[in-house]
Amino acid sequence: METSALIDSLHPLEIKVLMAFGSRPAGTVLETEPLAVAAELEPSQLSMAIEWLLAKSLLIVHTETVAPIVSLTKVGEQYVSGASPIERVFSAAREVASTGKRLTIPDLQAQDGLDPSDVSKAVGRLKKEGVLLIVQGGCIESTGRPSPTVEAIRILLQQVSEASRELKSFPEAHRQVIEDYAVKRGNAKEPFRVDDRVTRSFTLSPAGVEAAAYLAQEGVAEEVSQLTPELLKDGSWRNKRFRKYTISLRAPRIGTGKKHPYREFLDTVKTKLVSMGFQEMRGSLVETEFWNMDALFMPQFHPARDVHDVYFVKNPTHAAKIAEPFLSRVMQAHQDGGKTGSTGWKYAFNAERAKRLVLRSQGTAVSARTLAAAPAVPGKYFSIARCFRYDQVDATHATDFFQVEGIVLGEDIHFRTLLGLLNLFAREVAQAKEVKFLPAYFPFTEPSVEMHVRHPRLGWMELGGAGLFRAEVTLPLGVTVPVIAWGLGLDRMAMVALGIHDIRELFTDNLDLIRTTRGIF
Amino acid sequence: MPTISIFKDDLESLLALGSLAKQPVSIQQLEDWLMLVKGELKGHNQETGELRIELQDSNRPDLWCCEGIARQIRIKQQGKLKPYPFFSKKVKKGQSLIVAPGLEQVRPYVAACTAKGYRVTEEGLAQLIQTQEKLADIFGHKRKTVSIGIYQLSKIQFPVTYELVKPDQAKFTPLGMETVMTLAEILMVHPKGLEHGHILAGQSRLPILRDAKNQPLSFPPIINSREVGEVHVGDDELFVEVTGTDQLMVVLTLNIFAANLSDRGATIEPVEVQYPKATPLGKRVVTPQDLENSKTVQLKTIEQALGQELGVKVVKQALEVYGYEVSAGKGTVKAKLPPYRQDLMHAMDIVEDVAISRGYSEFAPVMPAQFTVGGLSRSEQTSDRARELMVGLGFQEIISNIMGSPESYRDQMRLADTEWGRMVEVDNAMTLTFSCLRQWMLPSLLRVEAASNRAFYPHRLFEAGDVAIPDATHELGSRTETILGVVIAHAAAHFSEIHSCLDVLFYYLGKDYSLEPVQHPSFLEGRAGRIVVAGKSIGVIGEVHPEVLERWQITVPVVSFDVNLSQLAALA
Repeated sequence: METSALIDSLHPLEIKVLMAFGSRPAGTVLETEPLAVAAELEPSQLSMAIEWLLAKSLLIVHTETVAPIVSLTKVGEQYVSGASPIERVFSAAREVASTGKRLTIPDLQAQDGLDPSDVSKAVGRLKKEGVLLIVQGGCIESTGRPSPTVEAIRILLQQVSEASRELKSFPEAHRQVIEDYAVKRGNAKEPFRVDDRVTRSFTLSPAGVEAAAYLAQEGVAEEVSQLTPELLKDGSWRNKRFRKYTISLRAPRIGTGKKHPYREFLDTVKTKLVSMGFQEMRGSLVETEFWNMDALFMPQFHPARDVHDVYFVKNPTHAAKIAEPFLSRVMQAHQDGGKTGSTGWKYAFNAERAKRLVLRSQGTAVSARTLAAAPAVPGKYFSIARCFRYDQVDATHATDFFQVEGIVLGEDIHFRTLLGLLNLFAREVAQAKEVKFLPAYFPFTEPSVEMHVRHPRLGWMELGGAGLFRAEVTLPLGVTVPVIAWGLGLDRMAMVALGIHDIRELFTDNLDLIRTTRGIF
Repeated sequence: MPTISIFKDDLESLLALGSLAKQPVSIQQLEDWLMLVKGELKGHNQETGELRIELQDSNRPDLWCCEGIARQIRIKQQGKLKPYPFFSKKVKKGQSLIVAPGLEQVRPYVAACTAKGYRVTEEGLAQLIQTQEKLADIFGHKRKTVSIGIYQLSKIQFPVTYELVKPDQAKFTPLGMETVMTLAEILMVHPKGLEHGHILAGQSRLPILRDAKNQPLSFPPIINSREVGEVHVGDDELFVEVTGTDQLMVVLTLNIFAANLSDRGATIEPVEVQYPKATPLGKRVVTPQDLENSKTVQLKTIEQALGQELGVKVVKQALEVYGYEVSAGKGTVKAKLPPYRQDLMHAMDIVEDVAISRGYSEFAPVMPAQFTVGGLSRSEQTSDRARELMVGLGFQEIISNIMGSPESYRDQMRLADTEWGRMVEVDNAMTLTFSCLRQWMLPSLLRVEAASNRAFYPHRLFEAGDVAIPDATHELGSRTETILGVVIAHAAAHFSEIHSCLDVLFYYLGKDYSLEPVQHPSFLEGRAGRIVVAGKSIGVIGEVHPEVLERWQITVPVVSFDVNLSQLAALA
């Protein structure tokens, strides 16, 4: 790397360390502490900078020494402000000597804050030094002689509490006391700790020398990480260096505002339909059997009206009434055809049953309502309606789902314009060029058609069903022109567009999945 | 609608009746032909030759069998239906079925015939049983309206009687059992009795068919006698009967069986049914019987509906090759259904058959020429606008099921026994998980929140969609309205954060609003408000109550608002 490029890649902390060496004679060796002072860095900053520079081979370790260092433990710190157990035993013995009271080991062990084992250890040591005597009855007596151990501990606690020191800096006698009173395995309750401390000294590598020389010669603009309004205001950005980023790193994730992928799909369909001249219809989630089925000429004994196919509302169970003249006319159409030119289904229509409230099971219910509400002629309508089916929920069956349905009314509506309209759907909604029309059956249309298209990616698939509404549907609702009823089955297309295989995932609760699905249609 | 299983070889044999020679049929050819019967090939086992075919038309039970499918295709090949002779045949003396009084209240109608000269093959027997099951189950509403029995004719002596007996008065060994049982025992023990016994619930006397020797044939619609009513491969004389509650359906079903057995080579002999009183078809009814279903239609009607000039000749020919008997007048055609069909209600039914017979591909699609203006409903426009604004505010849209559980929509929201907890519930829920409609939006969003604690924060979610709000004054007992629900969830989510979003939303929706403190159990007291526009409360905003979060097992604070967009749009 060119030296200038190398310098550009350096962190300000690294530059401080290099310059600390650069201002000293070549070959200078510095230990950590003097280096921290020279570079004006906190120990934590310095250690980061040293590690980085070592990794870049600009700095090398000159020597590495290991020395025992003496420091205080928590227990030791307590002794500094109070007194060590041995000192307390020593003082207690002196005190009874002047008052003439009796003092036994158990007496000492009962004193506040004195551990029995500490007392035993202290008495033993003092006895050995000839400071104490154990006389008849287990009483302790002072001999009046001073204790070197007590003296040494008092001095050492004071010295070490000021700063940790190397063990070898203490006189031999004190070293012995430290070793006797340092924490060891099995005895954590001692005032002193002796640890090995690694001390390293550093010097510049040849590359480091070069970099330091470059820095000394060229100087370095102050590096900043962020352009600020202040830098812009006073123009001082000109004297700054902007730290370079590693731009190949992954960007941090952020949340975004976005439509649901399935909604994007449905919105595309919605936009297509509006652009083809369709007006949107809305309906109710709860419907009467009348609008959901009777008005669509589905006989009341039709298998799809079974309790196992439709959800019935618990309360209220029935609508108060069904609007006339629709109820009478539809009833007539079912029974004997009425004025529709039909023979009807020839059964006794149950007007009470017509009022039974159900969850809308087909989008066609919305079309039936529109037919009864004086629709425009010519007119085109669509709805994207949530419908409910009594099905075991699994990968292909959802309890509620969207149906895209609608109607087209007009004087020029007949079988061939029905096929023409389906062709248009095939082209516009599924981008399919090839279409197949198959005879189909729906209770409310005659003739009925099923449309299969060759989807650019999916191959042949059923896109929807359609037909001309039966006169038994249109005439009772007051519509005298022919009407196309159509429905598109878009779930499979949607699932492929969204890359999912389970219909339940269309309404998933998995936020990660929703956020990451692109939903290109 | 039924999916049936047939065999390709059997189909090819049935296609080869009359002057036609038996030929192998390609799958491609078959799929084209299936358009004539609204059938879809669902599966094909090349080894066994089994074909699984779904038949769509619930009004054409004659097509739910191999014989019917073959017949419809065959007529097209032959150009015309060869009339079945037995519809005009005299009844053999004594070949009668006597109906006793009292059955009007139980299961009034019966039809029957005999079939001789067709030796039942294994395949033929399987088809016979399948047709019997599909017709009784789907066309006959699980045997309620129509059920069918087939017997060994050789064991039966005419006249047969159809009468009522007390449940313990008659006994026989039913199919599938080893011992003699009374009708009462059959209802209590036999699997078919348990399955279909409800059809006869409340009857003190039960229907039974017996022959001249007083030998029980069956206990309709439950089970046949094992002695007489079990058909075996090799039998060549059969007795077929149909009982039910709708006379036309009963006769039609028998007509279908007669035609099917005739196609397989049997000679059909009619039976005279003697009722104690007059029925819609008379007091003495010979079955099978052509019900003479016909209609005269203007050529103009057909041509207008199909959008194409065809002429009388073309229409006549199209209907004839589809099985109709047609007489053409000047600008009219009189079309009579074949006796195995009864689905002619309206002129349009004939129109569709013309189209199917000619083939849908014979009709060139044309575009409707009339101009219409497209557009969205007011409600959709409002929710589109709201969605756009929420996306701009950095929110992710959610779409949820509308159907859910009272637990999540009400109980976990601390709304039990409150006005906010009222919902539209269903009577026949399959599981509690899906047993009511949501009445507001927040639970739908908490559902996502509860499942997404591993998705990086903050979570800013919204859903705009329909809810059902119970309303006794509404004709349907509830109103369907569009609600916008919004939540923010992260470690420091706060009322003012969601309040700012609400503020921006209403500014751009062009509505002034105010917040009024509300005690809503789903929110922390003192940190919730009604959203009031033009004096009307149209929503709620607040910090979600920690107990609600606990019940959902959500471990970050959530703030939220719900706005009724339908009501908002309706306000000036």
